[in-house]
Amino acid sequence: MARDHLASARGHALDGAVEHASILVTTGAGGVGKTTTAAALGLAGARAGRRTLVMTIDPARRLAQSMGLDTLASEPQQVDLGSMGAFDGDDEAGEAGELWAMMLDMESTFDQLIDRHASDRKSAETIKNNRIYQTLSSTLSGTQEYMAMEKLHELHEDGSWDLLIIDTPPTRSALDFLDAPKRMTSFLEGRLLSLLMRPGMAAGKGYLRAVGFGATGFMKIAGKVTGMELLNDLGEFFRNFEGMYAGFKERADAVLRLLQRPDSLFVVVTTPQPPPLREAHFFLERLEQEGLHTAGVVVNRLSVDCDAAPPDEVLRDAAKAQPDDLEGRAVAGVLRLLADVRNLAARERRDVEAALFGMRLPALVEVPLLRSDVHDLTTLRHIADALTSTDPARLAS
Amino acid sequence: MAGGYRWPPRPPNPGRAARWPVATARTYAGRMPADPVPAVPAALPAVPDGFDELLSANVAIVTGKGGVGKTTVAASLALAGVASGRRTLLVEVEGRQSFSRTFGTQPWDYDEREFRPGLWGVSIDPADSVYEYLELFYGLKRVQWLMEKSNAIDFVTTAAPGLRDLLLIGKVYEIEARKRADGRRMYDLIVVDAPPTGRIVPFLQSPEGVTEIVRVGPIKRQSAQIGEMLSNPRRTQAFLVTLLEEMPVQETVEGVAALSAAGIATGPVIANQVVMSRLTADEAGMLDKLGATGVQERAAAAGATLAPEVAALAVDLSEAHRERLELQADLQAQVVERTGLPLLALPQLTGATFGTDDLTILADCLAVQVGERGPRAREATGFEPAAWSRGAAHLPVGQAPPPEGDA
Repeated sequence: MARDHLASARGHALDGAVEHASILVTTGAGGVGKTTTAAALGLAGARAGRRTLVMTIDPARRLAQSMGLDTLASEPQQVDLGSMGAFDGDDEAGEAGELWAMMLDMESTFDQLIDRHASDRKSAETIKNNRIYQTLSSTLSGTQEYMAMEKLHELHEDGSWDLLIIDTPPTRSALDFLDAPKRMTSFLEGRLLSLLMRPGMAAGKGYLRAVGFGATGFMKIAGKVTGMELLNDLGEFFRNFEGMYAGFKERADAVLRLLQRPDSLFVVVTTPQPPPLREAHFFLERLEQEGLHTAGVVVNRLSVDCDAAPPDEVLRDAAKAQPDDLEGRAVAGVLRLLADVRNLAARERRDVEAALFGMRLPALVEVPLLRSDVHDLTTLRHIADALTSTDPARLAS
Repeated sequence: MAGGYRWPPRPPNPGRAARWPVATARTYAGRMPADPVPAVPAALPAVPDGFDELLSANVAIVTGKGGVGKTTVAASLALAGVASGRRTLLVEVEGRQSFSRTFGTQPWDYDEREFRPGLWGVSIDPADSVYEYLELFYGLKRVQWLMEKSNAIDFVTTAAPGLRDLLLIGKVYEIEARKRADGRRMYDLIVVDAPPTGRIVPFLQSPEGVTEIVRVGPIKRQSAQIGEMLSNPRRTQAFLVTLLEEMPVQETVEGVAALSAAGIATGPVIANQVVMSRLTADEAGMLDKLGATGVQERAAAAGATLAPEVAALAVDLSEAHRERLELQADLQAQVVERTGLPLLALPQLTGATFGTDDLTILADCLAVQVGERGPRAREATGFEPAAWSRGAAHLPVGQAPPPEGDA
C-alpha cells in the first residue's frame, strides 16, 4: 500500500536518530532552514544526554546568537544550556548532555589535507602557494562539502563526541558532495593533466595521434586559448600533487565508508515549495543508491492545516455576504484569511505528497511556520521538540 | 488536529531595539490612523516609469537568496517583457530545468526555442559553451570527443578558476551581441535566472578573474568585452529578489552593496510572496471584541458553518496575520532605506494551485506598479495596485495611499 508510506512516516519523528546515531548530516536546497534544523537537532541531542557537536558552514550570526554565542569559531565552543533554560522538568535529570558548536574553516581544512598527504614540506608549500590550488579550493564544485566530510572524519576519529551533527552548504545541488571525492580524484588523475605533468609533454603519442591530432598541436591551441602561464601553473600544481593521489583516494574512501555506517544518518530538509521538494526527492534517491542511510525528512515552514474549515467558495461567499460595517468587514476579512491559509496549506500538503509519493521514509516531521526568525534558545527548543516528538501538543509548551 | 494547534509564543527579540531605526514604518498612513506624524518620508527612490524604464537594460540578471523564488520572478519579468512587445529570451544557467517545469514544456537545452509567442528559452551549459567556442573561433570540430576522453572538459567546466562562470556569462554575452538580419539585436530582453546572491558577484566578476590569470591572448580580450557588457547599465541590470523576512532582507542589503561595489547596475528590489492585508488594525480590534463565538455566529448566518475550534483557529490566524503585516511593513521600509532602491512587490497568490497562469498574473502585478496596463493584477485576490503604484511603493501592503493633504 504505497499510499500509506507517508502516513506511517508521519508517525515517526527524529527522536530515535538523535538518541542513537553517531553522525547526523542535514542536507537540502538553499534557504530551507538546514542550519537551524542542525542546531535544533544538536539541542535535542544534548537534552537526550549526549555530548553533541554541531558543525556548520553557514556563518549566520543569528544562529550563533540563538545559541548564546557571539560568533561561531573554527574550534568547538560550548553552549551554556543551563543558564539559557534549555532543560526543563521533563528532561531526565542527572545525565545532562552538552552542546558544542563550531564553524568549518574550509581553507585550513584543505591546507591540513595537503600537509598530511604531501611527500615533503617543500612540495606542500609549493602547492599551497600555487594559484591553481588557491582557486581550486573554492571553485571545484563539491569541494566545500567534501571538506566538511573530511573534517567530520577527523572529529569522529577524535572520539570525544557522542553525536556529531553537520550542516552541508546550500550549493546549487545538495548532491555535489557525494561526487566531490570522485570528482577530485578523477580530476587529479585526469589524462590531460598527466600530459601536462610530464616534461616535454610527450605522453600524447598514443590516443591523441590516433585521432590525427598531435599533442603538440593540442597544447599549442590550449596555450593560445588560455595563455601559457596558466599551463605552467597547472604543470607545477600537478607535478607536486604526484604521489598524493593514493593518500587522497584512500582518505576519500574512508570518508565514504564512515558515512555509510548504519549509525551515520542523513536528515533531508525542505520547505513545502516544489523546487526544494524536488531537490529533496532526488537527494533521497541518491542516498539510497549510494548505500547511505536516511533518518527522515523535515518539512519546514508549513502553513497551519485548516482542513476542518469549509471549502474555499463557501468561505468566500460568506465573506461577500457580510454587511459593509466594521463588524462585517472584520468577519469578512477573517473568513478570507481562513480561505487563504486553507488553500495554501492544502497546496503545500499536496506538493509534499507528490514529491515524496511512494518513498519509504523512516520519519517525516512537519515543522509549522514560526511567527518570526529563530532568535534564542527557547525558539530553538520549540523546533527541537517538533523534530523529536510526534505529538503536536508539545509545540504548545 | 487543526483546532488543537496553538502557535508557539512569539519569542522576545532582544536585538530589536538595536536594529535599523524603524520609526518610519510606524508612521505610515493607515498603520496608526490617529498618529499625527507626517506620513511619507521624504525622497523615496523613484519607481521605474513604465516598462521602458523597468526593462531598460538588454540583460536582466535575476538573483536572490536561495528559496526566495528567483525562478518565478525571472519568469514573471520575462512575461512582462513579452507583454510590452519585447522579443524575450529566458536563460537558465544552472541546468535545473526549473523553467521547463514551470511552463510545462519539454526539457530545455542549448538551443534557443520559442515556447510561447514572443518568448524563447534556453538552458546554457559550460561544456556546450566550450565546444561552441572552440568550434567558432578555432574550427575545432573533433575537440568534443578529445576533451571528453581526456577529462579536460571536467577541468574546464568544474575546476578551472572561474572558467565555468565565465563560459556561462560568455554565452550570455554572445547572445546579447547577436544581431537579426535587419541589424536589431536578436532579443530585446534577455532574462537570466542567475546564481543566488551568495555567488552572484564572483559569477559576474568571472571575466575579471580570468583576465588576472590569463594575461594575454583572445580570452583576455573577450573577457574584457564581457566585463564591458556587465558594467554598462544600458546593457546589464541586476534584480534582487527577496522575501520580506529577516534573513533574505539582510542578504538583499548585502547583495546590493556587493553588486554596486562590483560596478553592476541594480534595478528595483522585487519582494516575492508578499502577504496581502485581509484585516486593517480597526478590523482586527473589532475581531478581538467579537471573539471566536462572534465570528462563528456571523459566518453561520452567511452559510459557512465553522466548528468551534476552526473559529478559534481563524481568530488565532488573524492575530498572526497582523503580526506578519507589521513585520512585513517594517522590513519593506528597511529594504528601501538600506538599499536606496525602489521596491516592487509580487503578492503571495493564495489559490489552491499555482501554475503558468499565475505567472501572467504576477507579470501584470509588475506592470501596474510601473504604471502599465496589468488587467489581471486585480484577480490576484487582495492585490491592491494603488498601494503599490508609482510613488507609493513604501506603503504597507494592502493599505490605502495617504489622503492628499496628509503628507
